[in-house]
Amino acid sequence: MKSLVQDVQETRLAIEMIELGARMQMLESETGLSRERLLKLYKEIRGESPPKGMLPFSTDWFIPWQQNVHASLFMSLRSFVIRNTEHNPLEATLQAFRMYREQVELMQLDEVLSLTRAWTLVRFFDAKMLQQTRCTCCGGEFVAHAYDPTHGYVCGLCHVPARAGKGKRPMREEVVIEVA
Amino acid sequence: MKMDIGNEVRELNLSYLMLAQQMLVADRAGGMFKLGVGEDVAEVIENLSPAQILRMASSDMLLCRFRFDDTLLLNLLGNHGRENSAARIHATILAASKPVEHLV
Repeated sequence: MKSLVQDVQETRLAIEMIELGARMQMLESETGLSRERLLKLYKEIRGESPPKGMLPFSTDWFIPWQQNVHASLFMSLRSFVIRNTEHNPLEATLQAFRMYREQVELMQLDEVLSLTRAWTLVRFFDAKMLQQTRCTCCGGEFVAHAYDPTHGYVCGLCHVPARAGKGKRPMREEVVIEVA
Repeated sequence: MKMDIGNEVRELNLSYLMLAQQMLVADRAGGMFKLGVGEDVAEVIENLSPAQILRMASSDMLLCRFRFDDTLLLNLLGNHGRENSAARIHATILAASKPVEHLV
């Protein structure tokens, strides 16, 4: 039997996540609230039904230049929060996402990562499919495939590729894979 | 008119402490990142009373210190070139990995 206090805390957390743009998969996995409850909350806050379909599942998405820069920025901010505060892993993700969003707005860039995308990124780290690799040139940490050779690694910001960020515009929302 | 440096320092101290406190109250972790301070320092600044802030500020020692003594980071922050936003993201990534100020 769930306590009332816990229920209120989880509801508050769900509201915060929905406001930051979380999708159902993230809400279901991070709170103990029922699907019906989450759906109602989602509709009430966003004024529409949550997008259907599966979450993108490839680590490759985080590797092209622009995505990698944004993912690395987010992970650096999250590492700062983990290192210097008592936040639990989920709180750290939410806090780092707010900091990421603030930075991106300040620089007037597109918000390449969504909260759900950032959360997926953290899950890839937990599963040891991605890692932070230290650039041998600037010393900053950048998102890379786990077990990639790190020797002599140089980040995309120290050596900006000629066509960096000039490829096809990345979509602002993650690609929804429709279930037939 | 000669600038009264002592007075300027006290003014800056006062603005700095008040701003730091505001930043930490508004968003603790975000403020810590921008200020470059650890949880212990944040705790102290956040809990300063107005009287304490005034007393602290009225020293002729500057209370904030130069943070970025890293050549690369300095160059990035001063960059006004074409790739300005990339340089700023780069600076933020590097700043996030720097150690913060702690009480000893």
